[in-house]
Amino acid sequence: MWARVNDIDRMFGAMDLLRSRMNRLFTDFGRSYGEGYGWQIADGLPRTNLYDKGDEIKIMAEVPGLSKDELDIKIQGNYLELSGSRKSEVPEGYKFHRVERGALSFTRSFTLPSEVDADKTEASLKDGILTLSLPKAEAAKPKQIAVK
Amino acid sequence: MNETKELIKREENLPESSRQIPAVAPVVDIYENDDEILLHADMPGVKKEDVTVNVDNGKLAISGVRHLEASGATNWEEFGDVEYQRTFSVPQSIDVAKVNAELKDGVLRLHLPKSEAAKPRQIEIH
Repeated sequence: MWARVNDIDRMFGAMDLLRSRMNRLFTDFGRSYGEGYGWQIADGLPRTNLYDKGDEIKIMAEVPGLSKDELDIKIQGNYLELSGSRKSEVPEGYKFHRVERGALSFTRSFTLPSEVDADKTEASLKDGILTLSLPKAEAAKPKQIAVK
Repeated sequence: MNETKELIKREENLPESSRQIPAVAPVVDIYENDDEILLHADMPGVKKEDVTVNVDNGKLAISGVRHLEASGATNWEEFGDVEYQRTFSVPQSIDVAKVNAELKDGVLRLHLPKSEAAKPRQIEIH
């Protein structure tokens, strides 16, 4: 009896797999060639992640092919502005078959969850990912409260 | 008792469901001149050792896996671990042995040189 249940279970498992593959087919299709494909979201803005690590905020942004001179970061209180531009790099003497990457310039601004210490902010660029470490301002840091 | 045993066995027999990372196609530029075909692909966050380039039977397959080091509470996350993969048909005239690739600032640059026989030749009139 159990062996048979197992068989049925496997069959459903296979069907689930097929269904999830089918679902992914459409989302992948949309992600690859639809609006906001590649590393950009709508309007050519780079994708970003924001993590709160307690005493600092970490921001990551996808900026492939941009050098550090092409990036500009401004911080004021809890307002952060990230801008950059990339020139189209059609090499001399080549004709093109396909240009999906192209030139772009963007400005993206954020309201940070708390005030940050702009002087101690560190930015690094590695493998096309910009990482910003923004230490929170003294007043915004989490404090341990001792119970009396 | 026997049934319990069967249950345990069944649990063990279930196919392991591993977390799959999504696959997306990277955006590419393709250029060509008389000597080579040039392919640029955006793969932000992919390390050199995680890139594979395969040329086989007229198919060029590029793939790069990105593992992000994330820590702390997530306020928002618009990108994560991903596998960039895309396959192209390449003409047989590519000299497979001389293909070279470089990865810089998250951009993969592939040089696909044409074999001598495929290069355009100027015919002189006597």
